[in-house]
Amino acid sequence: MKILGIETSCDETALAVVEARGQDFFVRKNLVYSQIPIHEKFGGVVPEVAARAHVEKLPILLEELGNKNGKGIDAIAAVNGPGLVTSLRVGVELGKALAFLWDKPLVDVNHIEAHIIANWLTKKNIKLIKFPSLALVVSGGHTELILMKKKGEYKKIGQTLDDAAGEAFDKVAKIFNLGYPGGPIISEWAKRGNPQAIDFPRPLVNKPNFDFSFSGLKTAVLYEAKKNSTKLNNKKYIADVCASFQEAAVDTLVAKTIRAAEKHNVKSIMLAGGVSANEWLRKEMKIAVKKYLPKVNVIVPELKYTGDNAAMVALTGALKAREKKFTKFEKIGVDPNLSLG
Amino acid sequence: MKKILKSEKEMDKFASSVAKKIKPGDVLALKGDLGSGKTTFTKGLARAMGIKKSIQSPTFVLLRPYDVGKKIAKEKCIKMLVHVDAYRIDEPDELLDIGLVEFINDPASVVVIEWADKIKKILPRGRTKWIKFKLGTALNERIVETKN
Repeated sequence: MKILGIETSCDETALAVVEARGQDFFVRKNLVYSQIPIHEKFGGVVPEVAARAHVEKLPILLEELGNKNGKGIDAIAAVNGPGLVTSLRVGVELGKALAFLWDKPLVDVNHIEAHIIANWLTKKNIKLIKFPSLALVVSGGHTELILMKKKGEYKKIGQTLDDAAGEAFDKVAKIFNLGYPGGPIISEWAKRGNPQAIDFPRPLVNKPNFDFSFSGLKTAVLYEAKKNSTKLNNKKYIADVCASFQEAAVDTLVAKTIRAAEKHNVKSIMLAGGVSANEWLRKEMKIAVKKYLPKVNVIVPELKYTGDNAAMVALTGALKAREKKFTKFEKIGVDPNLSLG
Repeated sequence: MKKILKSEKEMDKFASSVAKKIKPGDVLALKGDLGSGKTTFTKGLARAMGIKKSIQSPTFVLLRPYDVGKKIAKEKCIKMLVHVDAYRIDEPDELLDIGLVEFINDPASVVVIEWADKIKKILPRGRTKWIKFKLGTALNERIVETKN
């Protein structure tokens, strides 16, 4: 079964074709047009600019896909939330148009679920995924712990009470005028800094629940910058702040994940979302799991499937299509606040 | 009116006092730098309006609507609290696309907008109440300023 996936929930325009054969999944095409250069000068995604850029880029990607009549495609999958409402609408409308034009069934896909499913795109991951499993979904817009008792069954057991982890990276980068997106920039700076230089707070880390809070951490970084306004051009100082901030953020993510994994007796932990590309997070998670939960497998998506992409959407669509979970194209709508579990 | 709030708790109290005076159709326009207390205020406001859900940052989706608690809904004829974040907005018109005007013009909603100074020109004059936030001199201190 071959599925065309469409992803336009935020600032990446993406199309992909994934073929599902039994337990094997093959990414046949994976096209991403990043809008980051467009949004860089604004220090974040601008919704109207994003939606307009999706409208401009999708036909180019569609041409690059080289499939004019939908030949060989069995169904079309489009993300219908969560995300920016105008951006989502562009992708869903393309999905509807193609489904109508090519006479193919349509599947709506939850963006968060697709990020988790991205872990299945890599063959060596599949045998390591054991249920129950816990997914830590971290990105610019989300920080959630999702428990899967079995495949396709999701329960949200924790989430951020304010800012998403990726948003905290963006805002800290903004405080020091380091650029956008903040995640990769901060982790680059952090490599040259001392993670123990400043003792930033680990909000909620000692609370027994599985919720996160990153707003206070961002404020602590702001205080630190205000206190040392003469050092804002000192590269060593900025590197130290970045390293210490990253350490605090990662510590919190890892500590909560380990505690939730213990409580729910999971057999594997998956990372998902843009922030799962963070090397420090990957490393610290593996070290902590080895130490506290040595029997639990840690699974990380390939770097190219951490950020928003359409391969994860196509695969999620394929899994739903197998169960005939189609949506009539007259009925598909977008939900910017769609949640999973 | 200017107030110095010495802790998160005091910010909470201030938010409750604002919630008490709130009327359906009000627009609360919050202005202030990163970390000056806008989100903490909004959380307190939501709690005072009987919202049990956690108030997550709308920076990514720009706008999140919440159903207010039943008691407040009945007493004040307010159905929804809409939390907006204009942090990433460059042109106020961008928020029109996502339905902000519908909420602002809905007599049963209260709209609270962070970084409202960025979209000043689309806010209704008579119903918009401005609250300014500033960092104080001590670490956890915040200064809030309201008109009247």
